[in-house]
Amino acid sequence: MRLRRSALAGIAIAAVASVSLAACSSDSDDNGGGSTDSVITAYGTEPQKLLVTTNTNEVGGGNIIDLLYAGLISYDPEGESTNEVAESIESEDNKNWTIKLKDWKFTDGTPVTAESFVKAWTYAADPKNGQLQAYFMYPFAGTTEEGTLVEGATELEGAKAVDDKTIQVTLKEAEPEFPLRLGYSAYYPLPDAAFDESGKITEDFGEKPIGNGPYVLDTWEHEVEAKLTPNDDYKGSREAKNGGVTFKFYTDPDSAYSDLQGGNLDVLEAVPPSALSGFESDDSIQAFTGNGANFASITIPERLEHWSGEEGKLRRAAISKAINREEITEKIFEGSRVPAEDFATSLFPGYTKDIPGSEVLDFDAAEAKKLWAQADDISKFEGSFTVAYNGDGPGNKEWVEALVNQVGKNLGIEAKPKGYATFKELRELVTNREIKTAFRTGWQADYPSIYNYLGPLYGTGAGSNDGDYSNPEVDKLLKEALGAEGDEQAKKLAEVQEILFQDLPAIPLWNQRIAGAAADGVEGVVFSWQGKPEYHLVTK
Amino acid sequence: MWWYVGRRLLQTIPVILGSTFIVYGLVFLSPGDPIGALFGEKAVPEAVRAQIASQYNLDDPFLVQWLKYLGNALTGDFGTAFSGRPVADLVATAFPVTLKLALMALVIEATLGIAAGFYAGIRRGGIFDSTMLLVSLFVIAVPIFVFGFVMQLIFGVKLGWAPITVGGDASFGRLILPAIVLGLTSFAYILRLTRSSVVDNLTADHVRTARAKGLSSGTVNRRHVLRNSLIPVTTYLGTDLGTLMAGAIVTEGIFNVPGIGRLAFSAVQRGEGPTVVGVVTVMVLIYVLMSLLVDLLYALLDPRIRYA
Repeated sequence: MRLRRSALAGIAIAAVASVSLAACSSDSDDNGGGSTDSVITAYGTEPQKLLVTTNTNEVGGGNIIDLLYAGLISYDPEGESTNEVAESIESEDNKNWTIKLKDWKFTDGTPVTAESFVKAWTYAADPKNGQLQAYFMYPFAGTTEEGTLVEGATELEGAKAVDDKTIQVTLKEAEPEFPLRLGYSAYYPLPDAAFDESGKITEDFGEKPIGNGPYVLDTWEHEVEAKLTPNDDYKGSREAKNGGVTFKFYTDPDSAYSDLQGGNLDVLEAVPPSALSGFESDDSIQAFTGNGANFASITIPERLEHWSGEEGKLRRAAISKAINREEITEKIFEGSRVPAEDFATSLFPGYTKDIPGSEVLDFDAAEAKKLWAQADDISKFEGSFTVAYNGDGPGNKEWVEALVNQVGKNLGIEAKPKGYATFKELRELVTNREIKTAFRTGWQADYPSIYNYLGPLYGTGAGSNDGDYSNPEVDKLLKEALGAEGDEQAKKLAEVQEILFQDLPAIPLWNQRIAGAAADGVEGVVFSWQGKPEYHLVTK
Repeated sequence: MWWYVGRRLLQTIPVILGSTFIVYGLVFLSPGDPIGALFGEKAVPEAVRAQIASQYNLDDPFLVQWLKYLGNALTGDFGTAFSGRPVADLVATAFPVTLKLALMALVIEATLGIAAGFYAGIRRGGIFDSTMLLVSLFVIAVPIFVFGFVMQLIFGVKLGWAPITVGGDASFGRLILPAIVLGLTSFAYILRLTRSSVVDNLTADHVRTARAKGLSSGTVNRRHVLRNSLIPVTTYLGTDLGTLMAGAIVTEGIFNVPGIGRLAFSAVQRGEGPTVVGVVTVMVLIYVLMSLLVDLLYALLDPRIRYA
């Protein structure tokens, strides 16, 4: 496989341990190496779906599935991609790919074949199966823009099992980054045991999936916990260093934090908002912080009055400059977010500091007022600037209120928050294009690539282009970036961002900073590029 | 009496029909698109949406959805949650945990509340009485989640006397702290109810007569004061079991108890009609049966009460 190893190095964040950790990890190595019998307990939430790779797109189930399965490639904690089940992934034209497989087995003893992958991908893409991960199949030939099989098809045209050990992939467009996708959970293989005679994935399988990854699902007690034990036959790069991982399910992260303090829980991937201010100085736990991949923004659709064309550009820039990101990330998020520097994250290869135009992210009330006045010269703004948010997301209310407060004060206009009770309520208005105000948006990469932050969000008609942004120049550059590699791609993506900074289809706000915690005595806690602990490395 | 019981049970049918109708209506009317939420910020393929919508009857008008639900329920099929698991299973695993928690809370609050209230009532105006009035006022005034977090912090994290959270092992010992927290508010009400009822009865004619007959004060208090005082308390306790089960939402969150409160909370959030209706139906049944039980208990406490 032709992955840019050097470029990928350093993607992930080695966790930055707090002072208390530094002290304790240096002198408690006595049982190091011999501690493989210990089972680690980790914070989890009840999976929202049965554990099916093609249907699980949320964290609770995703964390478990990632430990039960191994994909064609894997991402290691340092962020490098290595071949996992794949022996090689090769292409002449970046469009037709030949994937050769190693000899691997599922935990039921059956071999992992080319068919195991092709069947799983086809299942995901077939709309009859209603799979939540269908969207990820869109690069394959024979699927719609949305990733579902084209009308009438029962097979995935873009993926064929040539023989037991060879998959032939055909993409719609050349995409050098394609192999980088293949470590994501939507592309994991499924054993024959998953399907019944009619070709449906059975409920029994979803309750007790059979995988090929570093762990085996021992028990899943609904709403309580899932126990995973190491898979002794696993021979990939994520070998279990502990005696197993038990995900304890919580509905209230505060109670998980209490458990952590009391030593009843070993690893907590995200400290609850209520504990953020003090967790780094809490002696009863170890604190971990680092950059995360999560990107937050507000989107102001062009279709709204006063927000299109030149006037809209000026107004967006004014809003962006009227926001004091520093203050909000410090005061509201207790430093758990860092002000955004671009439309993606500084974590990934190809990150360019100081893209021309990025100064629009700097707080400057006077400049903001000036820009707003210029826009008013084009057409006078009346009414109020409103930002919609969903109240069921932690902290949303607080930061949106702070943000509109700043904007209102700095621009001398009326600005107010608009709360919707639930995420589903807000998303319905957004996807139906019925929303009449600015609204909060966010993104988390599916695989470690800056392209993944831009293509699906700002390409014309792209799946998650909530503001209906359309710029032919951006489309052209995105397409070129998709077909380019390494520095060439980074350059194209920086050009895309340069235009985005002019148009501001979304106003970048901040990136999440990892705020994780572990109990005293727990070692090896490292966070991945997805901001999750690498559970297989944790020992105690 | 059996005729009375039978008639009361028959009355539950319209109650359940009506309540499922209302609950289903509320879930249906609650704004937002549950399917869109399943996909998060990612795009929703139309074909997949259509498939999921038809699977859960989400595109049908409300009345059709409800009738389909009822029809299936009659055949014992209570629908599937978005998780793919049958709602009946969800309720069946969560319900016993909450019932156990609520019953423990009920026993704790009833025992302590009646005992303290009785004693405070007999010694009206004394130090104990005044203290209890203050304590109960405090307990009623402070929200339940404050007690939950404080007690979790003190007895769980700091002192280590009780488990911090319950998790999967819903044993008596692990549930005791959440049960105390859950029962606290009701304890205060029972205490006050018992006390005022005892105070009323102490000056009642039949108590004076009993004393005049020369019965010992212990006998008078037990047979004539306490027994009569228990009638309003029993009414309260009966309906309180239902309240406790509903109130468990907060306590179950704090102590991580895998019960019906947690289930209801997440189902409402996701807009899963069948799950919410399943949980509520069970709650309604509990209410109805408990109030029946209370009515029957009256006969034991006051032989003058007869059922026709």
